[in-house]
Amino acid sequence: MDFFLQLLFTGVGIGAVYALVALGFVLIFRATSVVNFAQGEFSMVAAYLMVVFAVDLGWPYWLSFLIAMAAMAVLGAVFNLTVYYPLRHRTFLPVLISTIGASIFLSNSVLALYGPQPQVLPGWLDTPGFQVGPVYLDSQYLIIIGVTLALVAFQYWLFERTLIGKKLQATSQDKEMATLLGIPVAGMIMITFVYSAVLGGIAGILVAPVLFVSIQMGSTIALKAFAATIIGGFGDVAGAILGGFAIGIIETFGAAYISVPFKDAFAFLVVILFLIVRPQGIFGERVAEKA
Amino acid sequence: MKFNRRSLNAGLAASLAAPMISRAARASDTLKIGMVLPVTGPAAAVGGYALAGAKIALDRVNKSGGVLGKQLELLTEDDQTTNPGAVLAFSKLAAQPDIVAFLGPVRSTQNHAIANDILKTAKPFCFGGTDPALTRIGNPWMIRFRPNDSYSGRVIASYGVETLGKKNWALVHSTDAFGTSGNKLLAGALDKLGAKVATDQGYPNQSQDFTPVVLAIKSSGADIIGSYFTYENDQAIFARQAKQLGLTIPWIGSASTVAAAALKLAGPALWGTYAVTDFAADSSREAKEFAKLYAAVSSAPPDLQSAWPYDAIGGLAVGINKAGSTDPGKIRDAILSIKGYKGAEGEYNFDQFGDGLHGYNIVRNEKGTIVFDKHIEFTD
Repeated sequence: MDFFLQLLFTGVGIGAVYALVALGFVLIFRATSVVNFAQGEFSMVAAYLMVVFAVDLGWPYWLSFLIAMAAMAVLGAVFNLTVYYPLRHRTFLPVLISTIGASIFLSNSVLALYGPQPQVLPGWLDTPGFQVGPVYLDSQYLIIIGVTLALVAFQYWLFERTLIGKKLQATSQDKEMATLLGIPVAGMIMITFVYSAVLGGIAGILVAPVLFVSIQMGSTIALKAFAATIIGGFGDVAGAILGGFAIGIIETFGAAYISVPFKDAFAFLVVILFLIVRPQGIFGERVAEKA
Repeated sequence: MKFNRRSLNAGLAASLAAPMISRAARASDTLKIGMVLPVTGPAAAVGGYALAGAKIALDRVNKSGGVLGKQLELLTEDDQTTNPGAVLAFSKLAAQPDIVAFLGPVRSTQNHAIANDILKTAKPFCFGGTDPALTRIGNPWMIRFRPNDSYSGRVIASYGVETLGKKNWALVHSTDAFGTSGNKLLAGALDKLGAKVATDQGYPNQSQDFTPVVLAIKSSGADIIGSYFTYENDQAIFARQAKQLGLTIPWIGSASTVAAAALKLAGPALWGTYAVTDFAADSSREAKEFAKLYAAVSSAPPDLQSAWPYDAIGGLAVGINKAGSTDPGKIRDAILSIKGYKGAEGEYNFDQFGDGLHGYNIVRNEKGTIVFDKHIEFTD
């Protein structure tokens, strides 16, 4: 039982990270019908910004975090204007390739500016963790789980209880109708990119003390987060969260009870099963062409 | 002076040809060495250390008069820390006919990937991968400037069983070529010493979590860990989680356990561990000298990643001078005839397979300081 509980905690902690990044995938997909393959790089850029501000410059952690978030908001806006907006009337493929290009550009820019050495970002708390009975609770994972749940609640409030949330939803559901209703669609898409970049940034900063800060950290997380969105249903916020936790738990338990070398394979095996049996994901709706 | 079309054409031709003539003249003044190394990808940091080590040796050789009266010149290509990247990088270098020899990656899997192209190129290829098979695959051009894992496995087993008195082992290894072959040789060495393997845990590179591995070791009842980690961040994550989850048994790791990047990332989580490594700063006068030269150009501590390219450039210089020509076959024969060359990693005595080093150092991480314990050399 001790073994089981320890694995469950770890699986939920890792799953929370995937869920956060998956949330960014889903938001942009809902607003633009495009998968943003640079979502993982948002996490990496934010983590490096934290290293610069909090470690290299020695600024207070909270201040570094706020500045990093502001920088991520600017990055999200620039990303929208340069990567998505010029191609907004094209099919999804050029935009998708554009996001892949942006992902490579961001990775190589950070590599050129900061160098290849992986970096250490201290955790938010001085205490590395707590022993609760037989289970060790890593303090950083506790923060990750807490922040993910808080952001899910915030997202629910934003989309369901605020006017801007309704406008964002209207834009994601039908851009033409939203335009006819007087909603500034371009502005809503801009907000979506800014919010997604900030979300990705939060994920990167949260996970950095656990996985270290490296150029590859974004792509490693994004691959699993992408799998999470497929399981949950592309375009569904609740699905992304559930998918993220599912991937984290499946790979942790799969590694412990079946095989560690096939750890990554378990997650993608589930994805393949979903693509065969339920391609729309857990919460997705079947889409059919009208006659 | 009168300009006409003919003089203008002649002037243009001269101005276009001038850089080529000057390049050709400069090219004949240097001997080119090609180097495949990771500049991007997960091992990019390691590539930086390797380049620094190679440049120190290059500078040293050139200041002492060069090779065959010419200065050495290093040309590099990024292997992107991938096998296809390594193949592409090597093919770019191999396409340059004036390159006389190559330095290859430190990762065995990438050396395996380019082994066929090396055979076709038929020029000396000095590399750092430690899979023993690399010098036994019938490719005469592959020359190793590190001890291979048949030695590291025996040293880990011997030190753990005979010095520390531990006979119930947990093995942790990457599932790539380096980790798998190292682990197999370690298991074989333990078997010969009568020790038992309580659990054998392979993991995929770039794992984000080692909780299942740590818990499996704890429940196996093992009293010591032997490990082969390929990437330093995996090593650091495992070290930290092992400490957090209360896994406190002795641990003897392969050389990545004392790699500069692993020490930086893991910090106190690696304190108290043992490692077998080809480079230990206190192991010899030459190692101390290299450490001093390296400290002048890098803030990172010197490790095997920078030491082996330093030795490879030095060994190549000795080999080419000894050969007295740039004929690839003569250079290869000259390098393989090197005996007693003292490098930063130890004394090089090449065998007929192309292995220069035949032993390992044992070191201990004393609160972040790497303390040299002893060197174990093999003659078989």
